[in-house]
Amino acid sequence: MTELTNTNEYLLSVQSIDTFIGQFHILEGVSVNVAKGSITVLLGRNGAGKTTTLKTVMGLTPPRDGKVIFDGQEIQGKRAFNIANLGIGYVPENRAIFRALTVLENLKLAERNKGDLERHADFIYDLFPDLERLSKLKGNQLSGGQQQMLAVARALVPENKLLLIDEPSEGLAPILIQQMMEAIRKLKDTTTILLVEQNFIMASQLAERYVIIDDGKSVHSGLMSDLVLNQELIHQYLGASIQAPISASEA
Amino acid sequence: MKHENKKILYIVIAILVIFGVLYGLYSYAGQEAFIRTTLSGLTLGSLFFLVAAGLTLIFGLMDVLNFAHGSMFMLGAYAGWQFYTNPTFIFGVLPLVLAFVAGIMVIPLIKPELVRLKLSDSWQKRLPKLLYLAGLIVGVLAVLKFDIAGLAETAMVAIVTTSTGALAELSPQEPLLRFMWRPVLLFISGALVAAGVSKPGDRAEITAPEPLKNRLVLPIILLVLTILFTFVRESASELVLLMNGNLRFALAVIVATLFGFLLGALIEITMIRPLYIRPFFIVLMTLGLSFVLRELVQVLWDPLAYQMVRPPLFAQPGRASTIAEWLANGSSTISIAGVTFPTYRLFVILLGVVMFIFVTLLMTKSRLGMIIRAGVQDPQMVEALGINVKRVFTIVFALGVALAALGGIGAAPFLPVQPMMGDQYQMQGFITVVIGGMGSYVGAFAGAMILGMARAFGDYFALKLQLSPTIAEASTVIIMIIVLLLRPQGLFGKKD
Amino acid sequence: MKNIWKKDKGFVIFVALAFAFPFIFSLLGQTSLTEGTNKFWQGQLINFFIMAVFAMSYDLLIGYAGMLSFGHAASFGGGAYTVALLLEHVAPDILKSYQIFIGSTNITEIVILIVCFLAAILVSILIGLLFSASAMRVKGAYFAMLTLALATALNLLARATDFVEWTGADEGMHGVPVPLWINPTQNRLTFYFIALAFLVLAYILMKRIVSSPTGRVIQATRENEDRARMIGYNPVTYRTLAFVIASVFAGLAGGFYALWTTSASPSMTSGVTTVNVLIMTILGGMGTLVGPLLGAGIMQIFSQFLYTWFGARWPLVFGIIFVLIVMFLPYGIVGTWRLQGFKIKQGWQRLLELTKTKETPEK
Repeated sequence: MTELTNTNEYLLSVQSIDTFIGQFHILEGVSVNVAKGSITVLLGRNGAGKTTTLKTVMGLTPPRDGKVIFDGQEIQGKRAFNIANLGIGYVPENRAIFRALTVLENLKLAERNKGDLERHADFIYDLFPDLERLSKLKGNQLSGGQQQMLAVARALVPENKLLLIDEPSEGLAPILIQQMMEAIRKLKDTTTILLVEQNFIMASQLAERYVIIDDGKSVHSGLMSDLVLNQELIHQYLGASIQAPISASEA
Repeated sequence: MKHENKKILYIVIAILVIFGVLYGLYSYAGQEAFIRTTLSGLTLGSLFFLVAAGLTLIFGLMDVLNFAHGSMFMLGAYAGWQFYTNPTFIFGVLPLVLAFVAGIMVIPLIKPELVRLKLSDSWQKRLPKLLYLAGLIVGVLAVLKFDIAGLAETAMVAIVTTSTGALAELSPQEPLLRFMWRPVLLFISGALVAAGVSKPGDRAEITAPEPLKNRLVLPIILLVLTILFTFVRESASELVLLMNGNLRFALAVIVATLFGFLLGALIEITMIRPLYIRPFFIVLMTLGLSFVLRELVQVLWDPLAYQMVRPPLFAQPGRASTIAEWLANGSSTISIAGVTFPTYRLFVILLGVVMFIFVTLLMTKSRLGMIIRAGVQDPQMVEALGINVKRVFTIVFALGVALAALGGIGAAPFLPVQPMMGDQYQMQGFITVVIGGMGSYVGAFAGAMILGMARAFGDYFALKLQLSPTIAEASTVIIMIIVLLLRPQGLFGKKD
Repeated sequence: MKNIWKKDKGFVIFVALAFAFPFIFSLLGQTSLTEGTNKFWQGQLINFFIMAVFAMSYDLLIGYAGMLSFGHAASFGGGAYTVALLLEHVAPDILKSYQIFIGSTNITEIVILIVCFLAAILVSILIGLLFSASAMRVKGAYFAMLTLALATALNLLARATDFVEWTGADEGMHGVPVPLWINPTQNRLTFYFIALAFLVLAYILMKRIVSSPTGRVIQATRENEDRARMIGYNPVTYRTLAFVIASVFAGLAGGFYALWTTSASPSMTSGVTTVNVLIMTILGGMGTLVGPLLGAGIMQIFSQFLYTWFGARWPLVFGIIFVLIVMFLPYGIVGTWRLQGFKIKQGWQRLLELTKTKETPEK
């Protein structure tokens, strides 16, 4: 296992953060390093704290302890909109798009500077051709897969150095999962991605590095190529999630 | 598509019911009474809308029910009435307010330096408190022996009919040389408070500061305005009073609305924002605030009712037969299909409709509207897109209050201006919002019009059946309960 | 009784003091028991006792059941109007034609008074049910709004000129013929003790209700409605129950208030009355029962002084205090005091533990 030792080479470095939601101690020392230009995936069982890790980076659930360093700057404790404006895009789970807004409005809303959408429109519509066709429809009129694509597309509108993507394959039909994977792979050329993915097959094909989170702690990290060979580790921490890789159908 | 069909069916039924009811009323009351009552209903409906629009927007976005909304309506009326009748009070107090605000606004200027100070923990805790105290002392010193009651009195005794008559009402004021140190002290007081707010020595607050030029703009603008208004405080009222009455009224409307906007922003930042984590207390806070504001107005202007004079465009006795004739003569009434109706009330109807169009455009076409519609669903995600949601909350709150204040000044020329004038409108605003559906501005408009008509026709029937109009007023509660039982989310509300 | 002493030393002391107050005052000031300043202060305290019951009933609603009702004045005014209407329009006729005796004592007036209060209870139950039926389906801000709207409607009815012969419309009813033996002008000392007894009884009853199993379920529904439902309690039933109970106490307080002022006026059902009782409750501390009592006392006494200091606009000062309390002291006086007490206790314990560990360093 080769570990990068120089923190400067990480775009994002999460250093033993502790996060509470209400009285519940959700994260108890999670450390994640994301190298520039890579895809890193957070693995772990349901409720292990992967989503909370992303939200903590984003500033939506601020940590009580620990550091989050993005692009050489400490960002823990900053408000979410400030963090976003540093160049972090967030794709939440459950396709949290704005249902009362049209597709076009959803994308427009994500603009940080005037003209962001025009600049990236070709790229976005190239990745997700459906969205251009549906641009006048309201969010609640889209299918689950289309909503998921919109959620990803929304994070591509402004210039982002880092994308936090939460469960992009959740509840998608196999064919759509393929399309989503293609899209994410293309994104890698221009940005860095921190991914949460239950679907181990998809995760293993996309990511170069992994971090396993279990019960609120980061317990393992390394190269994906090593993990695929380590059946023991996979069974210990990921267990059931590998049993049914691509079976969920579109809701 | 079944859903769509259902929707169309509902709309058709609604239209049929509305026309049925209107036709029934028409044939029962006869043309004259019907038109008159309908127009009265629309007038009331417009005012209800102005109150309800703010309530519904604020509630929809941030789940805050503003129990001080009626007081905002009342304050709007007072501000406009002051400006229109005798602005001495406004111009007398303005330099002081501006000076204090300018002081507060130095925060972005001094904060980056202050947070870098090296202070021990105990001093970090103590210093802000000391600064607040110093600010308070300086502030009190600044307004010591300031004859605010005398200023307030100027409008109370003013009987403005003509512009020359008005000038006689101008009363001598404190000499400039003595007055001058008040804004100076208040600026210092504001700056001291600003220093306290900046949390000196708190290294967690260190952020990359904006360029100095940007940080300087706002305080300097405010300072210049302060100085300007310190010098013109007497001549400005004179200037305003010499103005054409219609222009003065237009300015009064703008002043009241602007005042509402700023007051709303102030209330949201200082009183509501710290309480978002305890929503129960926001309701209590706004209730207490309405209580305080009502009492404050009574301290300044006594618990009396004032009648604002209608602007000349609506004041000349006589009945115009066409709109052109009204505009030319400024008649106080106009004949609509043979029914004599006060022209000012037509203006109020127009105001309501224009504001509805404005709100609709704002919500559907502007970026702010987009943010609001998105924020209603998921403010966290809006924030994660890089939008300062807290600021949007402030703007929406201020906007809502501004609409209420606009309603207040709109109502001032035909309602007695008195401390309780907003209470009834707040109540009807609540009922409107419940009928229309919380968070929906279209619902607020529909609800307001329904309620306005119900009130007008209720009064009409009460008169016919020899009941008192209070019965008609009480009966609107019944409409609300019926709607709640049939459709708890309101006519245009969305189910959660 | 022993139990009460153990749990509520403060309240027992308060009652004892209140009981002895007229006598002590007359001893100290060498004044008559039934005249002059003594009578004046008895009056102040009577007002306080009645408002305290009203405030505690409000605490049942907002503090214990977590229902922010802005229509509590409706129950208060309902009780007041019921008693006043019966005394004014019904009692004289009955007194003319019927007499009830036990042995040789004429108890007609007592019976009528009891009937009046039973009627007040009935009316406040009805008001409670009416409010519950229309408002129980909604929560939070909707609930606050609905209750306010309903109370406003009742207030409008009280002011309506249609019933002027009965209610006196805007003027209200004044000089209601209160039976002589309890009349607050002629027999104030009697009234004083009756009002005090009313307060004590109401306090004990409410305390009982709050700590009863039903009371606990009500508090549980405040904390977590879904969980209460899962355990098998219907939250709506319990909230309705809480609303009706609070309404009854408020109605009784209103009835007493009508006796005390020998009047009933629309202002008793108005929003200002609700705001007053709200201020008392918040000032003292929600969910403490003693808090509102304290709040009512403070408001009663301070309003006297504030009136002399600030004139007719004294409520402004109170409003500002209220706003400050909501911002900085959300648990009220009693709540904050208890919290501090708890913190001090914790501090002591920590200190004790510290010394213990120091004594036994081998651990």
